[in-house]
Amino acid sequence: MNALEITNFTKRYGKTVAVDSISLSVKPGEFFGFLGPNGAGKSTTIHCITGIARFTEGTISVFGHDVNQDYREARKKIGLSPQEFNIDIFAPIRKILWYVGGFYGMSREERKKRTEEMIKVFELEKHAEKQFRQLSGGLKRRVMLARAMMHDPQLLILDEPTAGVDVELRHELWDYLRKINEAGKTILFTSHYLEEVERLCNRIAIIYEGKIVAVGDKSEFVKEGSNLEKKYLELTRKSGGKS
Amino acid sequence: MNLIGLQTFIQREIQRFLRVAIQTLVSPWISALLYIFIFGYVVGQRIDLIAGVTYIDFVLPGILMLNLINSAFGQTSSSLYFQRFARHIEEVLVAPLSYLEMILGYVIAGVVRGLVVGFGVFMIAVVFSAANMEHVGLFLLYSIGVSLIFSFLGLLIGLWADSFEQLTILNTFIITPLTFLGGVFNSIHMLPEKAQLIMKLNPFFYFVDGLRYSMIGLHEGSLFVGAVIMVILVLAFGGLTWYLFSTGWRLRG
Repeated sequence: MNALEITNFTKRYGKTVAVDSISLSVKPGEFFGFLGPNGAGKSTTIHCITGIARFTEGTISVFGHDVNQDYREARKKIGLSPQEFNIDIFAPIRKILWYVGGFYGMSREERKKRTEEMIKVFELEKHAEKQFRQLSGGLKRRVMLARAMMHDPQLLILDEPTAGVDVELRHELWDYLRKINEAGKTILFTSHYLEEVERLCNRIAIIYEGKIVAVGDKSEFVKEGSNLEKKYLELTRKSGGKS
Repeated sequence: MNLIGLQTFIQREIQRFLRVAIQTLVSPWISALLYIFIFGYVVGQRIDLIAGVTYIDFVLPGILMLNLINSAFGQTSSSLYFQRFARHIEEVLVAPLSYLEMILGYVIAGVVRGLVVGFGVFMIAVVFSAANMEHVGLFLLYSIGVSLIFSFLGLLIGLWADSFEQLTILNTFIITPLTFLGGVFNSIHMLPEKAQLIMKLNPFFYFVDGLRYSMIGLHEGSLFVGAVIMVILVLAFGGLTWYLFSTGWRLRG
């Protein structure tokens, strides 16, 4: 059973086709890079996987659970750290984690333990009572990850998690993501920093203008002295891109 | 049903209005205090009895209803609109919560805020020796029923609004005028006959009238018609809210 199975998925906004009949699978335990320029359909796909957006064509399932028919089970298995800070900026960090744990049905004891664990793992001890808006950009990113991990999901979806993060924190995040991936978490990762995708991911897909233009092991993108960036530009140009 | 999720949702919504208690609780209480003082004592002492009751006894249920309506409506409309505006509605959309649980979460918090504000107004009236209670059960039924109607209406506006200005349109042009014209400050018998007929078409008249009956045992309209209107509005607004949530209108892209 795949961690993520997308079959003939299409998303339309009125007459505009944002994602055009894509099929994709992510195996359990993979660190999967999902790349593409702005507006290519990455975030739209992620929104449809997680329930932020609706779709009527194709199917998406997470560990065998259809995201429409069996949405409760599917969503319990997903943790999302989105590109934008979609958080109550006036809420204190501890409360944010506490409430999210509750939404996922965690008991008070479980929530209390996990909240403290997340605060410790992401080194938020000094900031736990601060409102989200009072934090620096790097700390905000940590909170987003802590929130995504709060209910201990099996599939972690990270939409540009290192955007606006300084070098030190970026390295810390990489180490943390590698560690949880080695511990068995499946990660779907998008980023515009191709060197970090090359460093972290073992399989990669490139989406361009709503279509998957390449998918395969990292080795297929970096063979014969080439690197991911060269291959990425080559593929998006070949597909009619302007980059 | 995700009961822990629902309970957490309600807790979060209640915590949201407690976080800004001056705006959500203290402000309506001060405004009610001023209404009770000015209309009940300063102006009221110069007004004759209305159907055998003092003016303060007559207007208090209306003042209470006014605050109940504004609080329930304000809670759900501003909460949902702000969550859509700041996009943290997504936090709820990605969680394993059904539409029913989401709607219940918002509406129960709306009813709670309405009742907390209403209770505060009642306690202020107790201080001024202006509080009466003839039928507690009916009082609770009317308070909860009206809070439900306006919590649903608040959700509908919170979904529909695309700007902070639109959020206030219904309140400015419909709710406030109809409440004031619904017999909060005057008896229906103070109006000419034709105006009385128009007033009887205003559902707010029945809300105020029913609450007034539960508090002082006096009513000027049909309690049965009032109860029917209340049930119809709860079902209509509740049904529409359910439909719009289930289609994801302005909620899921």
